[in-house]
Amino acid sequence: MNQSIQTQSPNNVSLLISQSRTNTLGNKTGTWRFVQPKYQEKTAPCSNACPLGIDVAKVEMFASRKDYQNALKTILMENPFPAICGRVCFHPCESACNRQFLDQSVGIHYIERFVGNWGIKNNNASFNYPELNGAKIGIIGAGPAGLSVAYFARCLGYHCDIFEKSDNPGGLLSSGIPSYRLPKQILMKELQRLKYNGIQFKYNQPVSMKQLDDFKHLYDAIFLCCGDAQAISLKISGADHAIDGLHLLHQIRTKESLSLEGTIAVIGGGNTAIDVARSLLRMGARPIIIYRRTRKEMPAHSHEISAALDEGIELKECLSPIAIQKATDHLQVSLQVMKSGEKSKDGRQTYIPDGNRRETLQVNHVVSAIGAEMEMMWRNDQWDLSMSHCQMKKISDMPVFWCGDLTTSEKTVTHALASGKQAVIVLDALKINTDTTDTDTEIKSICHQCQVGTGPAMSFEIYQQGKRKQRKNSEIVNFEQINTAYFPNIPAVQVNKLSQDLCLNSFDEVISGFDESQMIQEASRCFNCGICNDCDTCRIFCPEMAIQWDNDIRHILMDYCKGCGICIVECPRDAMNLEVEP
Amino acid sequence: MKHVLEGSHAVSEAVRLARAKVISAYPITPQTHIVEALSEYCADGSLDARFICVESEHSAMASCIGASSAGVRTFTASSSHGLALMHELLHWAAGARLPIVMAEVNRALGPGWNIWMDQSDSLSQRDTGWIQLYCETGQEVLDTTLQAYRLAETVNLPVMVVLDAFFLSHTYEPVDIPDQASVDKFLPSFEPRIVLDLQNPSAIGQMAPPAYYMEMRHSIQTAMQSVLENFMNVEREFETVFGRTYGPITPFACDDAEYIFVMAGTAASTCRHAVKLLRDKGHKVGVLKLKMFRPFPYHFVRKCLAHAKKVIVLDRNCSFGAGGIFAQELRSAMYASNQHPQIYSFISGLGGRDITVEHFFEMLDRTEKANNPENESVWIGLNS
Repeated sequence: MNQSIQTQSPNNVSLLISQSRTNTLGNKTGTWRFVQPKYQEKTAPCSNACPLGIDVAKVEMFASRKDYQNALKTILMENPFPAICGRVCFHPCESACNRQFLDQSVGIHYIERFVGNWGIKNNNASFNYPELNGAKIGIIGAGPAGLSVAYFARCLGYHCDIFEKSDNPGGLLSSGIPSYRLPKQILMKELQRLKYNGIQFKYNQPVSMKQLDDFKHLYDAIFLCCGDAQAISLKISGADHAIDGLHLLHQIRTKESLSLEGTIAVIGGGNTAIDVARSLLRMGARPIIIYRRTRKEMPAHSHEISAALDEGIELKECLSPIAIQKATDHLQVSLQVMKSGEKSKDGRQTYIPDGNRRETLQVNHVVSAIGAEMEMMWRNDQWDLSMSHCQMKKISDMPVFWCGDLTTSEKTVTHALASGKQAVIVLDALKINTDTTDTDTEIKSICHQCQVGTGPAMSFEIYQQGKRKQRKNSEIVNFEQINTAYFPNIPAVQVNKLSQDLCLNSFDEVISGFDESQMIQEASRCFNCGICNDCDTCRIFCPEMAIQWDNDIRHILMDYCKGCGICIVECPRDAMNLEVEP
Repeated sequence: MKHVLEGSHAVSEAVRLARAKVISAYPITPQTHIVEALSEYCADGSLDARFICVESEHSAMASCIGASSAGVRTFTASSSHGLALMHELLHWAAGARLPIVMAEVNRALGPGWNIWMDQSDSLSQRDTGWIQLYCETGQEVLDTTLQAYRLAETVNLPVMVVLDAFFLSHTYEPVDIPDQASVDKFLPSFEPRIVLDLQNPSAIGQMAPPAYYMEMRHSIQTAMQSVLENFMNVEREFETVFGRTYGPITPFACDDAEYIFVMAGTAASTCRHAVKLLRDKGHKVGVLKLKMFRPFPYHFVRKCLAHAKKVIVLDRNCSFGAGGIFAQELRSAMYASNQHPQIYSFISGLGGRDITVEHFFEMLDRTEKANNPENESVWIGLNS
């Protein structure tokens, strides 16, 4: 070691200390190493839970930095409609969020909504599709699944013709979901993203199964995205006195003059029942939800049920309608009292009639909202390919995909979008792999490669570029892997809501979302599980200064990394791994 | 202008006036009010300094070492266990020749837990290379702290300003707080002789193999040997600005004394009173208060004690197996002298126990009657 000694002596005071101007570059501590750190991004639990597999951790990272362009770009890789999903998605991401184990989950869907709104305000942030590739597909239905197929197929260069039986796009988004949850204006603006050369909407054109044969000359594939268009009707006497819930929601959204007054029994426990009841409340009626099991078993999202009850809607549990009778100026609904029975094989609580206990209810109207099913003509059980979110059958040698509610067991907007995405990936894989003998295995293997984390969600980014897969592995980051020393308890930012009085007198959006500062504060709460957000903690803590910046990329100097693992322990978000040296 | 101040706050005022730039301390017992006041000055802006609240006294001294190496005036304060925890870094601060100033409130070490006055803590750091200056009054505390910076920055050695727990640290006295302009005149801004320079990077305090180490230690000792002279210069300049002076030792009625009490700290005040009473009764007694303990002011002490018959040393400490530490130092100081007064060693007032006038009477009585000192230190004021 080069040693120099410094001597200075004003005041004649002796001063002799050791001083060295050599550096430690000669001391190659890397030779001590037998394990080595690696930057290895992992899958965040929110991404794993998201039916669309959005890279949420990355979105929150960009959003917290006010980089909305990249936040939006990241979402649009997997989801064409953040402003819509940020409102109507049931956000399973938040139920999976690691932050809930520290304080509260991050308000992911509000952040998505903010980013979506930003995209709308900024003209969809200059979204561009590639050149058309010459292939053409037909899409039946302009609901969430159909729109998703159009978006992802167009992203791959397919020309899309969308056949819609009504005169506007959106399906359930425009006719079913009330505007206090999804304002029409937001819906229409976000659908502008599909107004592009190569996407053709054909309104007022219902398609039947018989027509598909004629399509084979026009299209390379057909996507059936017609949704559950057939309402399930009550099978009780007097059922014809009941109004169909979905139809009513459609009328509420399209006809301003519609009026329903008095006490109204809303039968059912799903989201439609809740939407109907909350809409009727806003029209001045007094809705009562009647459900044959208890609140716990209601298929509607629990936050929607809570919102309805908070607004003052009455819920009558364990009552099953058995007859509707018309009296002079009202309807009389006979209800069978239900009680809990034995648990079914799958662990679900069953409910059985409680002897002959009956109740009657006098109401002005009855609305049936017990669900919908696909139209008879689309029923099919012979498949050439059966996937998690779509099914395919060749008709006259043309692949026909059953998408959205026609195949998914969970009937939500987000699952429908996921279904469209999967179907497009499968079609594209089919077209590329025409000469393989074992198509089924080949396609499933391609889909498996696009899988996000361990969940069923598929990533379009991985399919197109493989980028995300190269960056991340499918390991899910657990809360235990988060270094919580870096995260003080900060409760979630409370979202702005319309006051109760204003809510009940209009169809204005109830939850107005975050303003920019709230959104940044909330996005900053995100742990950014499993991704490197350039916090630089690894570099700061490296005792050998072996982590260096070079051209904006952080890298580890293996000559000096001694494999101590401090960087891995300190990394707040599990974006590094320690591996045994080969 | 005079203010009624706690001894602790006299230190804080001095540090503010000295314009320290980095103050690092651990804020929990055995810490005193010194850094509490300083943290408030940093917060309210009356002192433009960075207050680093650390997790231990070890880190407090480490922060001061870092800051001082970067070339700024630094300060910390501690006591008893806190000081003990700093031990290895006290060596480093002195070895690296950093002019750090620390206030050390003399407090006992546990067990049993005791935060009262006792000199064991500072004396067990006597070999670390720190200059040690013991104080008796609030005014002396303030003045010594200001002098400490001048001295430390002149000789490149750290200084410990030592004050008795409670008897001084928590006692209110009138203290003259000088104005900033006068202090700035006496203590100009710090011009470090050693500084880490980002433009010309180097490591300081690096490895010194056998070929170098011994010279570096010798340099510390040489610097220590120059402290007394430099201290006298600092005091002279202090006197021209503030009109006050203390000296490395403070003799009282020693000129014709046959018996001279020797001690450091606040007990000297009580002893002076006892000496007056004893003088009235015809005893030829005096007091020598030690202010400077490291470096030990041999010359001054020898000169003051030369003509005495017997020297009575009061230690508020005990080096177990050897007795009072001041007594040992005095024996060693007088050994090389031409005159050899007998050294009588007494230990009293440990762990905050009061030392009264009667205790001094007892010490004198025993000393007068004895033909020779006992082999071991005699403990005064033990409960029977």
